[in-house]
Amino acid sequence: MKIVIIGAGEIGRHLSRLLSEEKQDVIVLDRDGEALAEVAASCDVLAREGNAASARDLLAAGVKDADLVIAATSLDEVNMIASMMSKRLGANKVIARIRSDEFTDPDTPLNPEDMGIDVMIHPEQSVAQEIVQLIKRSSASDVLNLADGKMQLVGLRLEKNSPLVGMTLMEYDRGFPNLVFRIVAIYRGGRTIIPDGSDRLLGNDNIFVIARTDTIPDIVKSTGKVEQPITRIMIAGGTKVGSHVARILNQENGGWNIKLIEPSEKGANQLAAELKNILVLHGEATDPDLLAIEGVQDTDAFISVTDDEESNIISCLMAKHLGVRKTVAMVSKPQYIPLSQTIGLDAAVNKKLSASNEIHRHIRQGKVLAVSSLQGIKAELLELEVGSRSKAVGKLIHKIRFPEGCIVGGIIHNGSVEIATGQTIIRKNDRIIVFCLPQSVEAITSYFK
Amino acid sequence: MFDLFSGSTINFKSIVGILGAFMFFLGFALLIPIIPALIYHEEAWQAFLISASFAFICGALSYIFFKPKQELRLREVFIVVTFTWIILSLVGAFPFMLSGTLINYTDAFFETISGLTTTGATIFGGTTTSGNINANIEDLPKSIVFWRSFLHWLGGMGFVVLSIAILPLLGTGGMQLFQAESSLLNSDKPTPRVQQTAKFLWYIYLGITLLHFVLLWVHPKMDWFEAINHAFSTMATGGFSTKDGSVGAFDSVYIDTVITLFMFLAGVNFVLHFRILRGEVSNVLENRELRFYVLVALIVTTLITFSLWMNYYDSFGEALRYGTFQALSILTTTGYGTADYTLWPAFALFLIFLLFFTGGSTGSTSGGIKMTRWIILLRSSFREIKQAVHPKGVYPIRMGNSIIDPAVSRTIFSFFVLYMLIFSAGVLALTAMNIDFVSAIGASIASLGNVGPAIGDYGPASNYAHMPFAGKWVLSLLMMIGRLEIFTVIVLFSTTFWKQ
Repeated sequence: MKIVIIGAGEIGRHLSRLLSEEKQDVIVLDRDGEALAEVAASCDVLAREGNAASARDLLAAGVKDADLVIAATSLDEVNMIASMMSKRLGANKVIARIRSDEFTDPDTPLNPEDMGIDVMIHPEQSVAQEIVQLIKRSSASDVLNLADGKMQLVGLRLEKNSPLVGMTLMEYDRGFPNLVFRIVAIYRGGRTIIPDGSDRLLGNDNIFVIARTDTIPDIVKSTGKVEQPITRIMIAGGTKVGSHVARILNQENGGWNIKLIEPSEKGANQLAAELKNILVLHGEATDPDLLAIEGVQDTDAFISVTDDEESNIISCLMAKHLGVRKTVAMVSKPQYIPLSQTIGLDAAVNKKLSASNEIHRHIRQGKVLAVSSLQGIKAELLELEVGSRSKAVGKLIHKIRFPEGCIVGGIIHNGSVEIATGQTIIRKNDRIIVFCLPQSVEAITSYFK
Repeated sequence: MFDLFSGSTINFKSIVGILGAFMFFLGFALLIPIIPALIYHEEAWQAFLISASFAFICGALSYIFFKPKQELRLREVFIVVTFTWIILSLVGAFPFMLSGTLINYTDAFFETISGLTTTGATIFGGTTTSGNINANIEDLPKSIVFWRSFLHWLGGMGFVVLSIAILPLLGTGGMQLFQAESSLLNSDKPTPRVQQTAKFLWYIYLGITLLHFVLLWVHPKMDWFEAINHAFSTMATGGFSTKDGSVGAFDSVYIDTVITLFMFLAGVNFVLHFRILRGEVSNVLENRELRFYVLVALIVTTLITFSLWMNYYDSFGEALRYGTFQALSILTTTGYGTADYTLWPAFALFLIFLLFFTGGSTGSTSGGIKMTRWIILLRSSFREIKQAVHPKGVYPIRMGNSIIDPAVSRTIFSFFVLYMLIFSAGVLALTAMNIDFVSAIGASIASLGNVGPAIGDYGPASNYAHMPFAGKWVLSLLMMIGRLEIFTVIVLFSTTFWKQ
C-alpha cells in the first residue's frame, strides 16, 4: 500500500516506523529538512522536503496514486488544505488530525467530507478514551476491547510478592483450571517477549492477557491483585483532555464521584458551568494542601492531564504517595512511557501516540482491532480471517508452527468468542486475533490467507 | 524511539552474523565461473568449487552461531560494509591461488579488490612485457578471466546492494547499509522502500548489461565469451579485458563506438535510466548532474581531439576515435585502452590526468569524486566571489529547482579535503618505496578514483605486476576507500568511532 504521511512530527514519525516495519511504501512530506532526515535515518521511507499546502509538492510526494494520505502536521489549517488538495488530486483515502471540535458538531457548516477527509482524528479525544478505559479497569496498565467488547486484552503488572512469580506459564495455566485465558506477551526490562508455556514469570513483569471480559476480574485476582471498582476520581488540569475525560465519564453516568482541578479562574468557571455533576476546583494540582483538603487520600484514581508533563508526573507521584490506587499521567514525550512503571506511575498516556495508534487502526480498514503502545511494548494486535487455503485450517493450535514472534490470542467462530488454547482447532472463515511483533505482521498475514 | 534500553556498545555478534550471510551469498557467486570452466574443459573448476564450499561453510556457521537479532545501528553499519568488502576480497582471491594462476597471495588479493572496486588495475598482461612476471591475460584459464570480469560486475552496483535486493534479512538497517555502499543520494531513491530500490537498480543494471552483451556479440571479432566479459566490465566501469591489448586489440570502430556509448551510460545515475524507462524523458533532460556530465564529456573530448589532430594523429577521424574513447574511459573511471595516452602531447595528457579526479555521476557504477560533488564545490566557490563583492548578499546554492543545504555542501567540502589528503598520503607511501614521482601520483589517484591504468610506469600499456608488495597493499586500501566513498572506511580509523 502506498501511504503518504504529511508532517514528520511525533505522529508522523511513529506512523512511519510502524508502517515501514510492515513493509508499506511510505513517503513522508515535511518542510523541515532536519525532522525529515531524522525520520529517514530510522525508518525505511522516502523523505520529501516540501510544503504540505502546495499542490506541486503534494504531487511530487505522489498523493495522486496514494492509497492513503495522512495529514498529521501540528496545524489544523494545513491538515485541512492538504486533505482537500490530496483528495482532489486523486488520493484514495484521507485521514487528518484535527484538534478543533468545530467539525464534529452535527450542525457544522463544514463537514469533514467537504474537506476530503474520510477519517478525522482528534488526539485529545483519543487520549481521553484511553484514560476512561484505564479507569474502568483499575488494576490494569492497559486495556483494549476486542470483538465488540466480548474479549479484552489487559496489561497487568506482577508485584514482587505476587503468587505467580516463579511459575512457568504452563504451571499458571494448570493452577487455575477454571480460568480460560492466554498470555500473549511479557514485557520485561524494556523487551517484549512472545512467550510459550515454558517461560517463567518474574517480579515486575508486565503481562498481557487476553480473556473473556467477564472473567477478567478473576484473572486479576489470580495475580494477587484486588480489582476494586473506582468511584472517586480526581482529574488535575481542565485542559481539553481533562474536560473530555470528565465529559465522557459524566455522560456514561457510572456513579462516579469526580473532582476536576483547574488552575485558571476563567477556565474553572467555564468548566463549572458546563459540567454540572462535577466538582470543579480552582487551584494548582501540585499544591499538597489543596489535595489534602479535597481528600486525595480517599481518592481511587488520580489523573493528571495538564499541559506540563513534569507537573503531571510529580502530582501523580504525590497522589501515589498519599495512597491513591491508580494514577495516570499524560506525558508529552512518548519516550517516557516505557519508564512510567519504573518510576511508580500506574500508567502514562500520550496524545500523539494515541492519535497515531488510532490512525493506524483505520489503516487496516477494520482488519486491525487495535494497536496500542501498551506501555511502550512493540507489538500489534491483528484480527485476521482464516482463508480456506491456509495451512492452519483444521489443525490444533499447538500443532501449528507459526511464524516467529506471533501468538494466537482468541478466535471468533460464527460470532461467538473463544480464547485460544493448545486444544483449539482453527477452522476456515474463523476470525483470529493474533498478537505479534511488527516485523512478523507480513508473515502471519500471509500465513492465514 | 524505544531504543532506550539497548546500550551504546557495538554488537559484534550481529556483525559477524550478517557478514556470515554475505559470505554465504558470495558462495553462489563463486559457483558461476564453474560454467565457463566446464565449457572450456579447464581444471580450474575445482578451485572455484573449493572456494565456494569454504564460503558456504564459513558463512553458514557464522550466520547460525551469531544469528543477527537486532537491527544494525549506524556504527555497526560502517563496520559491516567495510568488512564485507575486505572479506569478499580475501575469499574472492582464493581461486587465483587454488588454480595455480598466481603464487603470491598479495597479487591475488590485489587483483580481486581491483576487480570488486571496479578499478581494473591488473597484474596480468599489458602490451609492454618488460618486467612482467605474471602470465598474459590471453594465456590464463578462461574461468579465471571470467571471474575477474564477474568481480567487476558484482562490485559495480554493489554486493551489499545486491544482497539487500535479494535477502530479506536486513530489516531497517538495510537502508543504512545501502547508503554506506552506494553513492546514490537519499532524495534520489526512486521507490520508498530500499529493497525495491535495490531491486530496480539491479534489474536496470542487468538489462543494460544484456543489451551491451548482444551488441558486442553480433560483431564477428568478438565471441560470446569476450562479449560477456566486456559487457560485465563496461557496465561496472571496471576495465578488465580479455586481451592483453585491452579493447585496442580488437581494432574495430564498431566495438570502440559501442563500448564508448555504454561506458557513458554506465557513468549516468541509474535512477535516470529508471526514469527514462518510465517515460519521464523531460524530467531526465532537466537533470543538472546529467547536463554537467555531458558538458564535461563534450568539452574534454573536443579539446583532446583537436590536440591529437594537430600534434599526434594524421587524420581527424583517428584523433576523434581514440581521443573520445580514452576520454570517456577515464572520465567514467573504466580504464579500457585503445591507445597509450602517456605518449600523447602534454596538453592532451594533462586533460586525461584531470579526468582522474572527476568520475561519473552519483548513483552510477563509476568511481572518483563524481559530478554532483563537483557542481556543488564549484558553485560554493563561485559564491564566495560574489559574496566578496556583496558581503550582505544571500546566495543560496542551487541544483536545478532545489536549494542545497549548507550542511550538505559542508560534507562535500570535507569529502574533497579528505580525498586530496588520502591521495597525497598514497603518493607519499609510494614514493617512500622508491617509485618515481609521476608514477606514484598516477598510481595513487588511479586507485583512489577506481580508474585502473595510471600514468608513468603504470600506464594503460603496462601493468602493476612490478609494483612492490607493500605498494600493492597501499593501493588496495586506496581502492576500497575510493569505492566506499571515503567516510564509510575512514570513520573506522577515528578514535571517536571506537569510544564508548
